Amino acid sequence: MSPHTQLSSHFFGDLLDSIIVDVASECHRIARLGLDRNLEEEEEELRLSAQARVTVADPSNSGEINGKYVVDIFGQTHPSVANEVFDCMNCGRPIVAGRFAPHLEKCMGKGRKARVKATRSSTAAQNRYSRGSPVSAYSPYSNPTSTNRLSNGTYSHTVEEYSNGTCEEP
Amino acid sequence: MAARNPVFANPKPCKHLADYKLSHGLSGYKSLQKWLKTSPNGNTSIKMRETKMPRCSFCSGFHRGRLYLCLICSSMYCPDHTLLHSQSGNGHDIAVDIDRSELYCCSCSDQVYDPDFDKVVVSKNIMDMPNKTQDSVVDDLTRRSSKRRRLNSLVDLDLKKSKLLVSVRDRRAKSCYPLGLRGLNNLGSTCFMNSVLQALLHAPPFRNYFLSERHDREICKKKSSDQSCLACDIGVIFSAVYSGDRTPYSPAQFLYSWWQHSANLASYEQQDAHEFFISVLDGIHEREGKERNPSKENGDCQCIAHRVFSGMLRSDVTCTTCGSTSTTYDPCVDISLNMDTSNFSSVDVANKSNRPNEDTGRSTLLACLDLFTRPERLGSDQKLYCQNCKEKRDSLKQMSIKRLPLVLSLHIKRFEHSSLRRTSRKIDWHLQFPFSLDMTPYLSSSIVRNRFGNRISGFESDEADISAEFEIFAVVTHSGMLDSGHYVTYLRLQNQWYKCDDAWITEVDERIVRASQCYMIFYVQKMLYYKANEDLSCMPMSTRRDPLVPIAGCC
Repeated sequence: MSPHTQLSSHFFGDLLDSIIVDVASECHRIARLGLDRNLEEEEEELRLSAQARVTVADPSNSGEINGKYVVDIFGQTHPSVANEVFDCMNCGRPIVAGRFAPHLEKCMGKGRKARVKATRSSTAAQNRYSRGSPVSAYSPYSNPTSTNRLSNGTYSHTVEEYSNGTCEEP
Repeated sequence: MAARNPVFANPKPCKHLADYKLSHGLSGYKSLQKWLKTSPNGNTSIKMRETKMPRCSFCSGFHRGRLYLCLICSSMYCPDHTLLHSQSGNGHDIAVDIDRSELYCCSCSDQVYDPDFDKVVVSKNIMDMPNKTQDSVVDDLTRRSSKRRRLNSLVDLDLKKSKLLVSVRDRRAKSCYPLGLRGLNNLGSTCFMNSVLQALLHAPPFRNYFLSERHDREICKKKSSDQSCLACDIGVIFSAVYSGDRTPYSPAQFLYSWWQHSANLASYEQQDAHEFFISVLDGIHEREGKERNPSKENGDCQCIAHRVFSGMLRSDVTCTTCGSTSTTYDPCVDISLNMDTSNFSSVDVANKSNRPNEDTGRSTLLACLDLFTRPERLGSDQKLYCQNCKEKRDSLKQMSIKRLPLVLSLHIKRFEHSSLRRTSRKIDWHLQFPFSLDMTPYLSSSIVRNRFGNRISGFESDEADISAEFEIFAVVTHSGMLDSGHYVTYLRLQNQWYKCDDAWITEVDERIVRASQCYMIFYVQKMLYYKANEDLSCMPMSTRRDPLVPIAGCC
């Protein structure tokens, strides 16, 4: 090794040592003053979680994890489309529960077709919710690296981010 | 209640340190103070001579810059020769690491701690700070207890002290399952709403408030004839769900009211559960806020939504050049956490999308919280103006929690948008989350103290801290793809987990919950959790059996 390389190795070694001692000193202080986190508890939670995932992934473990329900804990069964009937509070007509939302949408004049007109005027209202925190008098905290779903600042109705075609059983 | 950490302010000294203190008291520390130098990153070192490099008195070596200064004779030693010095001199045991300002006992060969020394260091740190920062730092280090305020709000929300208008003799209360367990009908892609409602229905202080009819519906209706009130409608749901009737309930009136409130979200399509949650709290705040905060919003809002869910976040921006910090506070009703995706390349992620991933260190809730409170270097395009340097400088930003709410709602940002590729995707990885959560490391008091090298500043109050310990009570999970998924809520009542899948309530093993894909996690302060479990223990079934009702498993 040339003297030049030796010297730079030497310096690097010194710097590395210094950094290691920095960390050691910090951790020593934290441990000695009782500031450290409860690692045992944390590890126990991790262990339980890992165990759980193994158990659940094993197909021989029954359950109706992905299967259909037979009865609920009260001994009841329920159809895939809720069949309770009640009167719509907007128009008064009797509506089946499982179809209430689509009915109400048209009934209230909301819905995609109705909304196309309204989009411009409600842009301001949309931006109010664009940061995901309550509006009145509170400002949302900002995080420059956030990949918040609404990072563009506008909530676009045309991108159905979480649309769920059906919540119903096929 | 004893202080959680009595060791912190009073670590036990070794024999040699104790002897040193007896003979010399604080004189050594105080004479050292003038040489203490604080760097912008918070490190304190000792610089005696500006012009000469310090060397070991024995071997004249620099020994990798780790030198110890004897507190008695001021001679300098490298680690190889400290023991020699303490053996030769009489009682020259205590030295200080000049790079880190930490006490070292040469006889024990170990770093030792003395609150008096720490206080000397901290006061020098404060003296060296720019004027503006000084006062705020003293405030930071003084842990003022807001315990009194907290207790007052708790008393209000104590179920036992209020009238409980829950019918418990309903014959339809099948078997002895906990009250308040009732399915919610899906009204057409409304599982996002049902899942959040289930969590709200079982948030202890929130539940107690509505079950004791604190929000008076009669008075509310009189005040505003036909304007919908989300709080009233939630109250109706509470009454229905806790009535003892176990047939699934249709929250239709609530949907109607909510659509009136959130016009832009009113449409028949799946919404985001988190957005719904925020929107509901906002709606309750709008109505209740006006009544309960007649004066301007100087103090905390007293509406039920904020009393239960609102906490305070602190954001510190530090100039990397001079170390001065500017602090801002923002209230929040929940915390949205990023999952750390930096470890994986985009190719890996694409391949992993639907397969269970390996257990990497990153996929834990604590890792997300660590990420949230980690100091972040703001990019060079984000230089902020430093009041002290009087120009734009590179800065570090760090978030921490100034005040924890009664119910802590954590939102996992699983939906990622790439503006480059104009696509959105869901991060499907499993995220481990604990059932018991200690939020102490994320509190502003812990974070700030860490910035001061975890020194004992002498400002700590003797009173016990507000508890930072939480217990989980609800998890909202999302399964499936970004645009065709399903929300399900798991509830923990009296140590049994229940799955609430729209109208279906089933019992599940806790392992299923641990293995699920969490989207929103709800924790409540530990004390409130145990109290809640006492309040609503299961009511025994009436002895007159209804022949048409099968006896489902009893507890």
